Amino acid sequence: MTKPVSRSELSRLGKRGSYRLGLLAPQGIAAAPPPKAFRPSFARERRAGSTTGWVLAMGAGIALVAVAAVAGLWFVPLIVGVITGLAARWGAWRLRATAPAVIVMCAAGWGAALCWYSARGLPIGASARAMAAIAGLPAYAAVAVAITLAVSVVLGLVGLWLGRALTPRPPR
Amino acid sequence: MLSHPLWRLVRQFSNVIIAMGAVLAVLVVAGAGFGAVPAVGRVLDPGHGAWMAAAGGQLPTSQSLRLPGLTSKVTVSFDRQGIATIDAANEGDALLAEGYLHASFRLTQMDLERRLAEGRLAALVGKSAVASDEFELRLGLLRTARQEWAQLPRNSIAALELEAYSRGVNDYLAQVRKTKQWPALFAMTGVYPGNWTPVDSLAVQGDLTQELDYTTTPLDYAVLARSLGLTKTMAWFPVLPVNRQNPYDLGPYKYKGIAPIATSLTATAAVSGANPGPKRSSALTAGLTGASRPRVPSARLAKAAAAMLAVTSALPEGQVHGYPDSNAWVANGPKVLGGGAMLAGDPHLPQTLPSIWYQVAITAPGYDVTGVSVPGLPGILLGHNRHIAWSLTDTENQATLFYVEKTSAARPHEYFWRGRWRPMRQFSYTIDVRGGQPRHLTVEETVHGPVMTQAGQTVSVDWMGAVPSPDIAVMQQVSTAHDFKQFRAALANWRAPTQNFVYADDRGNIGAISAGYYPIVAHGSPWLPMPGTGADDVAGVIPYASVPQSYDPAGHVIATANQRPVTSTYPYYIGTTANFYDPSYRASREYAFLDARSAMKVSSFAALQTSQVDDLAERVLPELLRLLKGAKLSPVEQQAVSLLHGWGYSMDQDSAAAGLWWTLWSDYLTDTFSPWWTSAQVPVHLDRAGLAISPDQFSLDQVLEHWTLTDRRNPAFTPPGAPAQGAASVLRDALAQAVASLHAKLGGDPPSWDWGKLHTRSFPSILGAAGLGYGPKAAGGDLWTVDAAYGMPDSTSGPSWRMIVRWQGSGGRGRATAVGIYPGGQSENPASPWYENLVPDWWDDTYLPLPAAGASPAGALRWELVP
Repeated sequence: MTKPVSRSELSRLGKRGSYRLGLLAPQGIAAAPPPKAFRPSFARERRAGSTTGWVLAMGAGIALVAVAAVAGLWFVPLIVGVITGLAARWGAWRLRATAPAVIVMCAAGWGAALCWYSARGLPIGASARAMAAIAGLPAYAAVAVAITLAVSVVLGLVGLWLGRALTPRPPR
Repeated sequence: MLSHPLWRLVRQFSNVIIAMGAVLAVLVVAGAGFGAVPAVGRVLDPGHGAWMAAAGGQLPTSQSLRLPGLTSKVTVSFDRQGIATIDAANEGDALLAEGYLHASFRLTQMDLERRLAEGRLAALVGKSAVASDEFELRLGLLRTARQEWAQLPRNSIAALELEAYSRGVNDYLAQVRKTKQWPALFAMTGVYPGNWTPVDSLAVQGDLTQELDYTTTPLDYAVLARSLGLTKTMAWFPVLPVNRQNPYDLGPYKYKGIAPIATSLTATAAVSGANPGPKRSSALTAGLTGASRPRVPSARLAKAAAAMLAVTSALPEGQVHGYPDSNAWVANGPKVLGGGAMLAGDPHLPQTLPSIWYQVAITAPGYDVTGVSVPGLPGILLGHNRHIAWSLTDTENQATLFYVEKTSAARPHEYFWRGRWRPMRQFSYTIDVRGGQPRHLTVEETVHGPVMTQAGQTVSVDWMGAVPSPDIAVMQQVSTAHDFKQFRAALANWRAPTQNFVYADDRGNIGAISAGYYPIVAHGSPWLPMPGTGADDVAGVIPYASVPQSYDPAGHVIATANQRPVTSTYPYYIGTTANFYDPSYRASREYAFLDARSAMKVSSFAALQTSQVDDLAERVLPELLRLLKGAKLSPVEQQAVSLLHGWGYSMDQDSAAAGLWWTLWSDYLTDTFSPWWTSAQVPVHLDRAGLAISPDQFSLDQVLEHWTLTDRRNPAFTPPGAPAQGAASVLRDALAQAVASLHAKLGGDPPSWDWGKLHTRSFPSILGAAGLGYGPKAAGGDLWTVDAAYGMPDSTSGPSWRMIVRWQGSGGRGRATAVGIYPGGQSENPASPWYENLVPDWWDDTYLPLPAAGASPAGALRWELVP
């Protein structure tokens, strides 16, 4: 550690006898910091971003997907995926971070829309059961809900793929 | 190389192209669908896809709705169970409101029914329905419906009814097109219903006619005669029944010649025969005596029959008539507590969810009815008005005749009829297939009707359901009739399907008329395919004055349960025992019950309607037990037989005796006939329903009953090539078999062999979706109980509606109090509380009061429909 330089000492710099003060530590050689651990990597340096930022962005994504679903804009999960893919390049986020984010936004977005209808009194569970049965699948509500959310997720993931493909990685 | 910048560029570009391709593919599949895969994005979008069907699962709320086409305000009220009452200022508005109601609660059912009839089912459900579409387009329900509509004067009441009803349906369709709250099936397939037309209603009427009237019995006879031989076929599937019968019309009968078949919808019915017709007994006795015995069908004809049976046996259940349908009886005078008349009716039809019925009461000036309607058709079919009550049972007469056309390879598209070659009429159709290529179909038609096959031989069908029938107009007249005279006059124009119309009125009168067309051939054996060269053509029909009927009989009781309605002295041919006439087991039980009682109440009729007493068991079991007396039985067999002693013949689900009886009779029947079937190599696989040995073969049941009671040494008990044996020997083996099979299935304790462990009842979804049906649930009843169950071991047909109407009052005019119940619910939406809410009541034999005819809407939940 170096001793802090007081302002009064700085003001004496260059004046006679000042060197005798000998307390201007920056003039000397500071102690070398300890060496960093060597971790070999060929990857570029990445930025993770703040947790709050991630939560806010995902919340916005979920809300966008949900509102769009209620409005009948079924393709919006795909757009959210594309946007996430583009942003991933800008933010240098790894796929292992963006893919789960897209999955959560798309599934939760459509799931939230279903919950909203259910809260308004629509018999969503019974309808889900009927839809599964009509499709020739086991007549469980969970089956139709799972397939619905899966469709949203697939839309989001292909969007993510496209977004990433449109922003190629710079050469190393 | 891989790190070369150009290669990197290629790779990145490829990645973009592939990603865009994937996005495009996903967008196409999700947005437009691919092949049979629906547009999953649109379908599963929570805001606008199939999920919006959930809106139809909510109970309706009181509201005011604007319906174009109305002339004045209509009030619709719903009770807690969803039963609707319509109150309108005129009949047109009432039926418009009915159309709107039907569409609101049964749109999928209605669309499926019209698609089925019009050969457009594959456009909705895909290639699995192509065979059905081809069959229906050949048979021609759509051609008949179009013909009926073309012939109907536009100012007739029936036309106005059909147009008003269609407008109501279309009002709902316009509404749902805006809200996008489609039933799930449409949203999931992306195939949406078009506007409703009067032709659609007439096609739905054709569906019902087909279900009740179109049979393949002559084809089965051809196959049986070819394999078993004509003698055995006619002995085991006789024209006239051999067992004890209970006809409701006991005669005396008068032969009045034959009446012509009307050529147009508006032609007035010929009440008496204009044509002397064939000698009364020629067609009846031809199969019974050697005198004018028909020839054994040729191998080519058998091949044609096999081809047609292969098609029809693969059709969805109900498209070809296969079971007797329904009970309806009436009593009056001393038979009814307090006098007056009382009617009970329970049509036996496929029990589905949703039900074939939609319950409704309609009140308009001059038109006050309450009962059950058929979604797709205006008005009600069964119920009562202010003066009369009516219910229907199927007459079961033979209405389908097959003709082997004479054709020549040198003269394609021609047939030989009455001395010269004639061109066949041709109709071309395109069948759209969801997820597949459209199919083209050309239907050829001879003077007899459409050509159904050209495999082996060219065979056409002459079916009474193809004759334009003014059913809508007739039902309108029945619904507004005040007495039997008007009722009878209205039914004079009814042509198909032939039905027993059972009647009771507010003055205490009762009656029944088996109205409709009974085709009479001048020559030949109508129960077999006949030559199409002209001599064996249908010469006409039984005149209306001569069809089976009864009015205020001395016994104060009339019961129709699909039994042969007349005795063997009736001077006209009306079909054979294989024509699905009930062997009179239900009718016998009904007459026994009604004849033995007086001062009956609604509860008495309800007890009979839900009776599970098996009349065949009551007839033959004492004799079977007598035959088993002295036979060497194992301890388990002895224990089993002891169950049958003292049994009351009721097929209760918790009755072990019932379980044993059914198994024993099935095995007795099989053991008697199967050696002959095996020896003759009867091709049962062609049509299990028509050719297999089972208790469903009512001819075999009654023949075996007859032999057991009166002819226990009949040669049929001796298998071909075996030493002579009688009924006792076959029965002994059958008992051993029955006990062994029950032991294997249900364990070694005979008292635990409950009928309900062997027999269940289900109400499947009309969509065929396993999870949307009800059951299977252990159930009582069988084929021969009044509370009938068809389709063993899991019955899916039976009493589809139970109704009892009692006319009571003084001063000559009574008032009706009526109760009814059907297994189902008013809504087709599985998410609705009204989807199957009536099932528990039906299952518990509970009835609900019908809204009174002419009563004001009483339910708290109301729609105000305004122009």
